[in-house]
Amino acid sequence: MDIDNAKAQMRKGVLEYCILLVLSVSSCYASDIIRQLKEVKVIVVEGTLYPLLTRLKNSGFLSYRWEESQLGPPRKYYMITEAGRDYLKELDNEWSSLVESVNLIRKDIV
Amino acid sequence: MKIALTIDLGGYFFSIDEDAYEELKSYLNNLEHWFSGEESSSEIINDIEVRMAELLRARLSDSRDVITIKDVREVIEVLGVPEDIAGNGGKESKGKSGSSGSHRMYRDPDKRILGGVCAGMGAYWRIDPLIIRVIFLALIFAGGIGIIIYLILWIVLPEAKTTAQKIEMRGETVDINTIKEAVKSEFEKVRKKMNM
Repeated sequence: MDIDNAKAQMRKGVLEYCILLVLSVSSCYASDIIRQLKEVKVIVVEGTLYPLLTRLKNSGFLSYRWEESQLGPPRKYYMITEAGRDYLKELDNEWSSLVESVNLIRKDIV
Repeated sequence: MKIALTIDLGGYFFSIDEDAYEELKSYLNNLEHWFSGEESSSEIINDIEVRMAELLRARLSDSRDVITIKDVREVIEVLGVPEDIAGNGGKESKGKSGSSGSHRMYRDPDKRILGGVCAGMGAYWRIDPLIIRVIFLALIFAGGIGIIIYLILWIVLPEAKTTAQKIEMRGETVDINTIKEAVKSEFEKVRKKMNM
């Protein structure tokens, strides 16, 4: 067990949740999602985003549209679906209760 | 002078050095291999290729318009190796092996004195290249046949350029883990050189 790996695993666990959070605000180009996730250091290697986006899309939680770009080929813009919003609500609740649980344990120790 | 190739990556055209192209190709092949069991694997790879193209474009400027191997390696570091990208449980994380156990003789450019023939033979048979060098020297003094054999081998044997070839040369299984290890050790080498 090394600390970097443990940290990475922890952040990876919430990556899916964070992607949905980002997309719940507005539809985004994949590189914009990466930029936002990098700013808050949730993502370590960029490549992890793409399989997750595709899996979420295949599960019906995301959809995408093509948009013309001035800088090059058309870009894929991802957006959250209604099913995705319900799924996100579940994750929201789970996150709150997880934070609460962890804090309860920490309080006893610290 | 170096040979440069033109590729279409993620809808952009790039001029790319030959060694950089090999590196890029083996990375994309690994990705493809890694995601081969996955539904919509080609979609994932396409998306990654588009991102790769953006990252590479950001590295080019007016004064530099050919992708080098350094660019490719740095971009791979940003994107992550297939194991990091896909490795979240399930069948992918077990590490599928690639072309397993193929073993070929190459010239080893890393440990070469002349053409890397003896170093390559040493790597192939897993013995100290010094032994082979001594044999060659003995053959040279015993009538000069050693020189001819050496020159023929120099011409015939390909140089182990890519990471996959170097692994193949040592007869290890070419899979994600060995490639990762090999790339890591190469990074270390470069890092050490920079410090000096």
